[in-house]
Amino acid sequence: MNDLLLQYLPILIFLGIAIGLAAVILIASLVIVNQHPDAEKLDAYECGFPAFEDARIKFDVRFYLVAILFIIFDLEVAFLFPWAVSLGTIGLFGFWSMVLFLGILTIGFIYEWKKGALEWE
Amino acid sequence: MTQLAFPDLTLALPEIFLAAAAMVLLMLGVFSRESAAARTVSYASILVLLFTIVMVGLVTDGRAVTFGGTFIVDTFAVYMKALVLLSAAAAILMSREYLETNKIFRFEFPVLVVLAALGMLMMISANDLIALYLGIELQSLSLYVIASFQRDSSRSAEAGLKYFVLGALASGLLLYGMSLVYGFSGSTGFDALAKLFHGDAEHGVPLGVTIGIVFIIAGLAFKVSAVPFHMWTPDVYEGAPTPVTALFAVAPKIAAMALFIRIMVGPFGDLSDQWQQVIIFISVASMLLGAFAAINQTNIKRLMAYSSIGNMGYALIGLAAAGHSGDAEISASGVEGMLVYLAIYMFMNIGTFACILLMRRQGRHVEDISALAGLGKSNPALALALGIFMFSMAGIPPLAGFLGKLYVFQAAIRAELFTLAIIGVLASVVAAFYYLRIVKIMYFDAPEEEFDGPVSFEMKSILVVSSIFILFFILLPVPLLDSAAAATASLFN
Amino acid sequence: MYLAAVFLPLIGAIIAGVLAFAKHGAEDRGPGLDRAAQWVTSGAMLLAAVAAIFALMDIVSGGNTQAVEIFTWIDSGSLEFSWELRSDTLSIVMVTMVTVVSSMIHVYSIGYMGHDPGIPRFMGYLSLFTFFMLMLVSANNLVQLFFGWEGVGLASYLLIGFWYDRPAANAAAIKAFVVNRVGDFGFALGIFATFMLFDSVSFDTIFGLAGEKAGATMQVFGGEFHALTVICLLLFVGAMGKSAQLGLHTWLPDAMEGPTPVSALIHAATMVTAGVFMVARLSPLFEQSEIALNVVVIVGASTAIFAATIGCVQNDIKRVIAYSTMSQLGYMFFALGVSAYSAGMFHLITHAFFKALLFLGAGSVIHAMSDEQDMRKMGGLYKLIPVTYVLMWIGSLALAGIWPFAGFFSKDIVLEAAFAANTGVGQYAFWLGIVAAFLTAFYSWRLLIMTFHGTSRADEVTLAHVHESPKVMLIPLAVLALGAIFAGFALFTFFVGEAAPEFWGNSLFVLESHKALEDAHHVPLWVKFAPLVVGLAGILLAYVMYMFAPDLPKALASGFARTYRFVLNKWYFDELYDILFVRPAFVLGRGFWKSGDGDLIDGVGPDGIAAAVRDIARRAGAVQSGYLYHYAFAMLLGIAGLVTWFLVVGG
Repeated sequence: MNDLLLQYLPILIFLGIAIGLAAVILIASLVIVNQHPDAEKLDAYECGFPAFEDARIKFDVRFYLVAILFIIFDLEVAFLFPWAVSLGTIGLFGFWSMVLFLGILTIGFIYEWKKGALEWE
Repeated sequence: MTQLAFPDLTLALPEIFLAAAAMVLLMLGVFSRESAAARTVSYASILVLLFTIVMVGLVTDGRAVTFGGTFIVDTFAVYMKALVLLSAAAAILMSREYLETNKIFRFEFPVLVVLAALGMLMMISANDLIALYLGIELQSLSLYVIASFQRDSSRSAEAGLKYFVLGALASGLLLYGMSLVYGFSGSTGFDALAKLFHGDAEHGVPLGVTIGIVFIIAGLAFKVSAVPFHMWTPDVYEGAPTPVTALFAVAPKIAAMALFIRIMVGPFGDLSDQWQQVIIFISVASMLLGAFAAINQTNIKRLMAYSSIGNMGYALIGLAAAGHSGDAEISASGVEGMLVYLAIYMFMNIGTFACILLMRRQGRHVEDISALAGLGKSNPALALALGIFMFSMAGIPPLAGFLGKLYVFQAAIRAELFTLAIIGVLASVVAAFYYLRIVKIMYFDAPEEEFDGPVSFEMKSILVVSSIFILFFILLPVPLLDSAAAATASLFN
Repeated sequence: MYLAAVFLPLIGAIIAGVLAFAKHGAEDRGPGLDRAAQWVTSGAMLLAAVAAIFALMDIVSGGNTQAVEIFTWIDSGSLEFSWELRSDTLSIVMVTMVTVVSSMIHVYSIGYMGHDPGIPRFMGYLSLFTFFMLMLVSANNLVQLFFGWEGVGLASYLLIGFWYDRPAANAAAIKAFVVNRVGDFGFALGIFATFMLFDSVSFDTIFGLAGEKAGATMQVFGGEFHALTVICLLLFVGAMGKSAQLGLHTWLPDAMEGPTPVSALIHAATMVTAGVFMVARLSPLFEQSEIALNVVVIVGASTAIFAATIGCVQNDIKRVIAYSTMSQLGYMFFALGVSAYSAGMFHLITHAFFKALLFLGAGSVIHAMSDEQDMRKMGGLYKLIPVTYVLMWIGSLALAGIWPFAGFFSKDIVLEAAFAANTGVGQYAFWLGIVAAFLTAFYSWRLLIMTFHGTSRADEVTLAHVHESPKVMLIPLAVLALGAIFAGFALFTFFVGEAAPEFWGNSLFVLESHKALEDAHHVPLWVKFAPLVVGLAGILLAYVMYMFAPDLPKALASGFARTYRFVLNKWYFDELYDILFVRPAFVLGRGFWKSGDGDLIDGVGPDGIAAAVRDIARRAGAVQSGYLYHYAFAMLLGIAGLVTWFLVVGG
């Protein structure tokens, strides 16, 4: 039992450090910096949109486009991690499989680039 | 842990080629001049699909597995793949005119069709629950997109959305069923499952497996739009661009039926007592709904939606007969009937949709059945072709549609499913009403304005080929029957 | 030869049929097509007749008696038989008679129907009829016989109603068809019963087994009956219908609405004798049943006298001959009934010649009189149409049985056989036959005198147009007249004389104990002379009443007014049937139509189902709401339902 718990000790340590560091940063900014609050500054940050208004507004579709493109490459990275870890055991076949996968992804990337999906205007 | 070995890629060569070709086509499209891109990619993709048929035919004539037993190639797969690829090619061939008139002729369309076809090929060759799911999803995702391809039309967007949401639900059901089966049996491979359930029929299988099978059936029934999982069909057929509807009516249906057959007579073959009842119910419900609900339709695409629901019901009769426990020969006759039926169904539908695509007035496509009034006078050739297809669908001898029905009914009789066969016959009598009504409208109603001409070469050739097939199939049925028999034999080996 | 004789008429009929269609809408080419149809059908018939004569010679000289198999017709379980042409004397004699008479009538029709707009159709029907008749007489099993039987019924219907724009013709055609249906129903039941008893419908098998099954019984309506009697009586009902025997005879006089060649061919020479032929053909069956034979005798004899009485008071020239035909058919039947099959057949053949002659002669008269058929408007024609007059005389002499004309020989042997049968029914038949013979002679000369002698009662216009018929009509008449004169004399030896057993071979079957025919040659002298004497007496009476004392008939008619009306109205058979069958059938039919069919069958059936389908369709469409969540809900309901079903039923 203790052995098992002992394995999780690094997580606990990381947790402590993270909380500590965050606290230090927050408190430091509160103490050190000059405070000139106004309405804009006190508002919740929402990616450049007013925080409280009707949800059914026209919304630029390009945001979705970017988000979707982001997700694709995000997932790619999610695949890469386990692949990297197990590369030793899956061997050459595993390696080339991922290369192929990346190649397909690249094709998609070229397509979206040529289509102009990456340009905002 | 040993290192993963390279699988035998030659068996999957057609699929690999198709995947590579899809990417090449995408690049070709994106790097061509915008004005020529769509046309170039369209014709190139037709060539690709036709070439893939050749490759499929060359790969094997026996039964072989690869990718650790998850991918199977046998004569059954060859037969089904040929049908799917042929119908996908036909759909692209038919699409140009429609897409051009509606100003949505983009090179992505053929690429998406090619990708959907790739998904279907994988479905047909799936020999594992996971592989099956991969194939279904690749196919479905492509189809969701092209359902809403006419994106500035709210109907098309609605169609795509409905299809997507309900398709996701169906995928959920399918996955749930698969996980139940896996959970109770410990395997996802078809061969392993078949071995596991062999001889289980006597002392019963775990309830979880049974329920899992029901869920899997539900998921697949959605794909073939069988009642009660058919609700999306009329709306999607009506809303989607017509060439897309033509594709929907044929290729995914054939692929899903192939999957249906493979999974039911393969891993669950020994559990036919469990699933036969469900298939019978689905079949009866589909035939009846297809027959009755179509009667009041005024939109021809919607009518065809119900028609395809009904047709899937007839095809499922064959599967129900294949569920005959005990005699493998009778089961085989059920599958064989189904295969023949699907091939004939493909030709009838492609032909019919080609006719529908020619219903244009002043540069706009019309979809009202009443628009066909007097076609017999204003365009006798087109009316004759559509008449042939309608008579065939109604099952009037000696046209091919009659023989298709005959084979599945015969199989049902042999499997002693008399009630099913009788309901089938009665439903086809009711269905004959709306098919013949179209003929009546064409030939006996006062003529309306003529449709736009001229008919392009592509359309002409599709119409001629499919009507010749329907008309003269009875004279030379042997090649198709033989290949269906060979396909069935490879499945029951 | 045999095949050619049977199938040439069919080929002719098909060609004429095509020409009839070709004529439709191409009136300018009409005359050419008409002529083509006439030539083709007549030519085919003449060739067929020649072929038939060769076939007859072949068989008489002891040639091939093998049945000609064409192909297998039905092979289902133990029911199996082929299209076969039976090749024995009985069949070939009939084939020869039919083709010869039919070819004469074809040629005659060229003249008689020369001005009709529907010539190809008419010639086609005639040839088609001949083909069916040949099918009938050459059948080698009961079903093929039935095929021919129904075929001649159909052709008869078409020909009686040939002038379809005349209501009377249509009514007569329907009547003929319906009355024959009654007979055919009995016939069909007879075939079923035969199959039940013998497990076969092929003649060879049945005849082979008939003796064995002589004692068999079968269940009918809960009672146990002698099987062959049941079968024979049922079959005889069919024969009665087709041969217009008492009870099922009402259609024959009405059938005279058809063109005269039709009357001659169908309603005198061939089709109406089919019943006689059938009984003769099935002699091995009838021989085993005394009861059936007695019924045949009684019906035949009664018909003979019944029709003869009516014939005496008719005024329509064709109807007189029609009743005469009925009467003569009665003779044939009672000859069959006393087991003198060959005598019956003999009378059938001679009758075919002189009755066809009489009908065609009457046709010639009608032709000359501008389609007038009422004898009361004729008279004094013998100077105007002398050839026809002579021919009619020959026909009448033959009919009345005056030596040496054909009728003398055949009628004599029939009556002698009836007498020699030495049974109660035999005597009944003999005495009625003698009386009928007297009446026959009487009405024949009544017809001759009223038509050809005395002062003309026709109007001026008609009289001015009277002309002798063209050669194309007279030559066939002459050929038939030759038959009417010589057929009896020439054929006597073969049919009923010394050469008879060899001639017929085994195509007719008579039990040893039935010796009527043999004994007929040894009857007392007065029996031999009686028919001739009464015949002469009848002729004399006719002369007295219609030539020398023309007031006598009227006086008699008013003196015996009740009897006269009774006979004139054909013993009130039509009225009786009207009350018994026709009106109740109408009432029943109307009931079935209005309430049964309209309200019940249509209401519940087609209309009801159609309404239900419409309703279901509407509801099924309404389920399709378009809302995504409805759809998803339906899917979930479906899966829940399926799983539940599985847990409850499957688990």
